[in-house]
Amino acid sequence: MAKLPTPEMLIAGRPAFPDQGWLDVKPEFTPGSFCYPAKKDTMELLHMPHPHEWDPAAEDWNLPENWEQILCDAFAERLEKHRSLKLFMDICVRCGACADKCHFFLGTNDPKNMPVLRAELLRSLYRRDHTMLGKLLGRTVGARGWDKDVVKELFYYAYQCTECRRCSLFCPYGIDTAEITMIVRELLHEVGLGTHWIMDPVKNCSFTGNHLGIQPHSFVEIVEMLADDCETVTGIRPKTPFNKKNAEILFITPSGDVFADPGIYTFMGYLMLFHELDLDYTLSTYASEGGNFGSFTSFNMAKKLNAKMYAEAERLNVKWILGGECGHMWRVLNQYMDTYNGPTPANMIQPVSPVTGTKFRNAASTKMVHIAEFTADLIYHNKLNLDPGRNDHIITTFHDSCNPARGMGLLDEPRYVLKAVCNNFVEMPENTIREQTFCCGAGSGLNTEEIMELRMRAGMPRGNALRYVQQKFNVNHMACICAIDRATLTPLAGYWAPGVTVSGLHELVANALVMKGEDKRVMDLRQEDLPNVDADEPTDSEENASDARGEDQ
Amino acid sequence: MRRPTCYPVKRMKNTDCFNANKDAVLRKWTEAVYALYPLETRGFVRTSSDPFGNPAGDMTRQAAEVVYDAITGEDMVIDAVKTALDRFVKLRAVQQGSHGQSLGVFFLMKPILRELLLPQMAENGKLGAYLTVESRLDSLTLLAFDMYVAARETLAESRITEIRNQHAQLTRWAKKNDISISQER
Repeated sequence: MAKLPTPEMLIAGRPAFPDQGWLDVKPEFTPGSFCYPAKKDTMELLHMPHPHEWDPAAEDWNLPENWEQILCDAFAERLEKHRSLKLFMDICVRCGACADKCHFFLGTNDPKNMPVLRAELLRSLYRRDHTMLGKLLGRTVGARGWDKDVVKELFYYAYQCTECRRCSLFCPYGIDTAEITMIVRELLHEVGLGTHWIMDPVKNCSFTGNHLGIQPHSFVEIVEMLADDCETVTGIRPKTPFNKKNAEILFITPSGDVFADPGIYTFMGYLMLFHELDLDYTLSTYASEGGNFGSFTSFNMAKKLNAKMYAEAERLNVKWILGGECGHMWRVLNQYMDTYNGPTPANMIQPVSPVTGTKFRNAASTKMVHIAEFTADLIYHNKLNLDPGRNDHIITTFHDSCNPARGMGLLDEPRYVLKAVCNNFVEMPENTIREQTFCCGAGSGLNTEEIMELRMRAGMPRGNALRYVQQKFNVNHMACICAIDRATLTPLAGYWAPGVTVSGLHELVANALVMKGEDKRVMDLRQEDLPNVDADEPTDSEENASDARGEDQ
Repeated sequence: MRRPTCYPVKRMKNTDCFNANKDAVLRKWTEAVYALYPLETRGFVRTSSDPFGNPAGDMTRQAAEVVYDAITGEDMVIDAVKTALDRFVKLRAVQQGSHGQSLGVFFLMKPILRELLLPQMAENGKLGAYLTVESRLDSLTLLAFDMYVAARETLAESRITEIRNQHAQLTRWAKKNDISISQER
């Protein structure tokens, strides 16, 4: 029997001074704080090490018997292989410059979500086995050994990092915490620990090409449905060339844009743009997923899935590859592709725009051009007939997707395109955009619904900046150039800034694009009525045609 | 000695008392909220004033001001109070902890009010006015409860919508071809 506690006793239950150090406080696996585990049969099909059934909320994770040896060996092997990892383990001086730069930290206030301390979870293990001081002095110098709780802790925090690299921007040593997270995830896979939302698409991409595992013929039919939708809006049915040998360009984009709202409208935008340009291009049913889910798993898996791009470019004998709006696809392309699967097949050349003649020297090595660069170049050379007034009901801002922004420096091209197709553009606050952009909160394979609550707190800094421009400048739209962003910013905006819609860049391009011979546009790509358009009023082209007929008479 | 009736005892007005204690109440309440965070991170939310670099701290400071003005009887438009509290309540709705702990932060203001306002107002014979302040805090917590529940419902709806959106085209294609998705996959 006890007296009912007062509200302050119930609420402020935390002692003024903790009885444990930060490293000893263990995470609680409560529903909504962890991703569902990968299925055993998925892991078996992919020949992943030690596939097994396990539950993150359970006490026993059914690790293999010699789990500690496996992890120690795997860690030593990676230290040997990646000099950068060894450097990252050694050189951090714990200055704390990164500490408050992580969106997960800002949303959770969990000390272990400070990038410096998240890395310290692995660094403490490194010290024990790989440094003299750690071997001699142990915990006194921040070294600790492996135990099953440490494994759980690594899993918990490795999947509370979206590998966005905002922290590395502020690190005076340039430590890339994202690569530390990648290594931790690799290590966990060595003892059979992975997540369903990542491994299921990895399996599907491995076996069928796209992340949902849709068979090629069905994939083509779905794309044709989108072409039908374009026809409904414009009166013109764009071409949908698939697996066309000797095409000049192979176009690869995330398959999420073929299946998921609102990404499909961006895909329709691509189809319309390419049709209008009469581009000699092809889609592929084999390389039908630009997004690389393998990059959330291990370097080897990323390499395997990435290999499809050049293999298909060689098979179809294309000259170069045009890549759609995607995040981690471009990080892999820009930073790892050369090493993974380069050099390019002999049939590929440095990309040259067939419309403007521009040589993309920045793509001389990978032979891949980002669609934002491609379209910006078209607009710069005045090759597109655009009516930005169609987007006048939109006051848009732009979310710099982490990987294109920090991974490849693609900052100005999408803004150039956006300003050409929208008359109303507003930037979010300076320390939330461009290189300092805040992550959507669900990149790197965390875009799964079971952790929606976690995503909303991790995405809070982005949502907060969006809400600010919504209230101050009446912003009602956010454009982005990443398929995961399009999926995850939609609920994020719905939570933090309701009323703001989210789209890809090329949805807005296609809305503004005046196609040759098109019907009068009375609705946008989402088949929603365009405001301020009178369906009965003739367009300029119709008026001209009518005048011409009058003269004839 | 009996006071002359032409010089009445000068009593403190309610508003004077509220204004005099405002800064101290706000500071103590925000400190109490920050103290809910782990020791290692408390200093950061407390000291950084950047609204975008430290959004949680900024949301708490904004909420403190609104809560105090509302409970001390400043003229308020309910919708304006809700708008001002919105960020803070939404943050509490997704941060870890029980729902009672998440929303009960408003009650952390009561002991502060009792420490700072109550003695002064009791001395000035304004006990009734003080109790009204506490009652308004209860009303405000109920208002926040509605907002909290709405935020949690938005979360639940987002999960359902997202599942539907992920396969939107696939479902449409399956319906068109009169087949089930599970067969196809």
